[in-house]
Amino acid sequence: MTLDNHASRALPSSVQELTDVLRSDGYIADRGLSTALYIALTLGRPLLLEGEVGVGKTELAKTLASLFGRKLVRLQCYEGIDTNQALYEWDYARQMLQIRALSESEMKEDAVDKLFSAKFLLERPLLEAIRAGDQCVLLIDEVDRADDEFEAFLLELLSDFQITIPEIGTIKAQSRPIVILTSNRTRELHDALKRRCLYNWIGFPDPAREVEIIQARIPDVSEKMANRVVAAVNRLRDMELAKPPGVSETLDWVAALDALGADELTAQSADDTLGSIVKDRDDLELVRTNIQEVVSSV
Amino acid sequence: MSDDAGFITLFTEFGHELRNVGLPIGSDDVMAYCSAIAELNPSDILDVYWAGRSTLVSKRDHIPLYDNVFRSFFLDEKAEFKSENRLKIKASSSAQAVIDIPAPESGSPGTAEEELRMGLQASTSELFRNKTFASCTPEELAALRRIMSSIKLTPPRRKTRRKMASSKGSLISMRRMVRETMRAHGEPRDLHFTKRRLRLRPLVLILDVSGSMADYSRNLLQFAYSAQRAASRVEVFCFGTRLTRITRALDRRRPDEAMNMAAGLVFDWDGGTRIGDSLEMFTRQWGRRGMSRGSIVVICSDGLDRGEPEVLAHAMEKLSRLCYRIVWMNPHKGDSRDFAPTTLGMMVAEPYIDEIVSGHNLKSLEEFSTTLTALR
Repeated sequence: MTLDNHASRALPSSVQELTDVLRSDGYIADRGLSTALYIALTLGRPLLLEGEVGVGKTELAKTLASLFGRKLVRLQCYEGIDTNQALYEWDYARQMLQIRALSESEMKEDAVDKLFSAKFLLERPLLEAIRAGDQCVLLIDEVDRADDEFEAFLLELLSDFQITIPEIGTIKAQSRPIVILTSNRTRELHDALKRRCLYNWIGFPDPAREVEIIQARIPDVSEKMANRVVAAVNRLRDMELAKPPGVSETLDWVAALDALGADELTAQSADDTLGSIVKDRDDLELVRTNIQEVVSSV
Repeated sequence: MSDDAGFITLFTEFGHELRNVGLPIGSDDVMAYCSAIAELNPSDILDVYWAGRSTLVSKRDHIPLYDNVFRSFFLDEKAEFKSENRLKIKASSSAQAVIDIPAPESGSPGTAEEELRMGLQASTSELFRNKTFASCTPEELAALRRIMSSIKLTPPRRKTRRKMASSKGSLISMRRMVRETMRAHGEPRDLHFTKRRLRLRPLVLILDVSGSMADYSRNLLQFAYSAQRAASRVEVFCFGTRLTRITRALDRRRPDEAMNMAAGLVFDWDGGTRIGDSLEMFTRQWGRRGMSRGSIVVICSDGLDRGEPEVLAHAMEKLSRLCYRIVWMNPHKGDSRDFAPTTLGMMVAEPYIDEIVSGHNLKSLEEFSTTLTALR
């Protein structure tokens, strides 16, 4: 199935081109991620991204949406999410008003049909994505937070890109949206769900790539500073913290240092801005006692 | 790609190789792999690699295996399959062998007498050789296990965000109101309510399988197995010197098979005890990610810790913030009602424990199942 019929911008025709396009929008992807994404786009399959917190899983979907001029439809999963919040809901208040407005004689068979027509249907993210087709990027964020009943419900959507509403019938996507699923691995997802997706694990980037990411995102930071911060962050990641900092924390840290006007990473400036990179009290204590070692330039 | 039958055979064989080392790969995965490569460049080894990584692998744990097979298959490198690298489809029973308790890596100074009284000499303790599981014959144990499998564990419930119809509820069910109003020709007659659904809290069992608990641990494993079959969401871990997750292994239909799998996974069966480090590992790897949120954590141990007490205290504090209630099952408690912890580990952990139960015989396990449901 090809996707580039109505897209505002044609999808890239090679992995390298995709990597370059992503880079132009400030998203630095490694070969593995680009290839997985390229396959997902060309085969029209959903892409499941797993990885540490803050390595750019959600960011990828946002980047894709802005790059290809598509609407980002985001479904944030949480425990207890059900079809009413994910798919559609009937507009009960309007239905009630409609019933009240109808006179006795108008309450016939087709009155009921009218009540359950598209007019009274409230679109929720999944239905919106199905209707928009290739005009949108569907981001199903943190699937692992939803309960397993919800996962089962996603199966129909992900394999056939269609949704069944009892009162109306089956709605099928005219063209396939780009679908990105993310998971933080708080629990293992069902194999049935995984089988419908392509899979990529995003790890922490290597130092050179992380420097590149900083420079792409916060251009006015000097290369020297970026190098120092990345070195320090990598030391933090080796320190067995309860929550090792992700790339988004690195970016926050650089932004925080930048905001304070620090042009050098010193023990003092690091200590002042530590809250933007270490977010656990025990970790903070551990880092504070070793701050000299963390920021050292060797 | 129709003239590239050679390629297809090659990639299919690669899929077979992966299947041979235990990766769950179906024909459709291989098809997806082939169509992925068709979109890429089959002569570029990196494309071949990444196409497979994203279509044939669906778990992070499988990546090293995939890498190994890929190297030996495409790059002719000698694959090094370390025994722990291969997926454990058949668990060996050799891991059940008794290992001597290792000396503590770092012990805090204290007099030998003091240590004895506080139970730090884990292996020599004679405290629990009573009329408990420990004193049962193998035949009796087998019978007990059969009975144990019938003990139903029901964790307490909590409210979820999902709703259900209820006459006692407090929220109006608009869906039902619309239906009923239509039926009544536009005149709503009764109010219909919903209330929030109840759901069982998850249960996390953390079992001590170290030397000092060896007599109980095999029974506990059986208990864990039946617990997992009874309650909705149960996670099971074993620890001695290190923590092992055995939930997946216990997820088998036949008890014996499940037990052997689980036993095979635990390396330090009958070894020493490092409760603090093991709990720390739990909070780090699983608890923080959300496994224990809102859950009942049951720790089964005698509290004879060979690690630093501060580590244990710290881990317990963290754990208590990550879960709903902590229940400590200590066989030493026995039938005594006014049990006061005597081991250092128990003393340190006590402030964070919501309930101490014994688990030394069948009766106490039954009592435990009642306590569990009543936890608030």
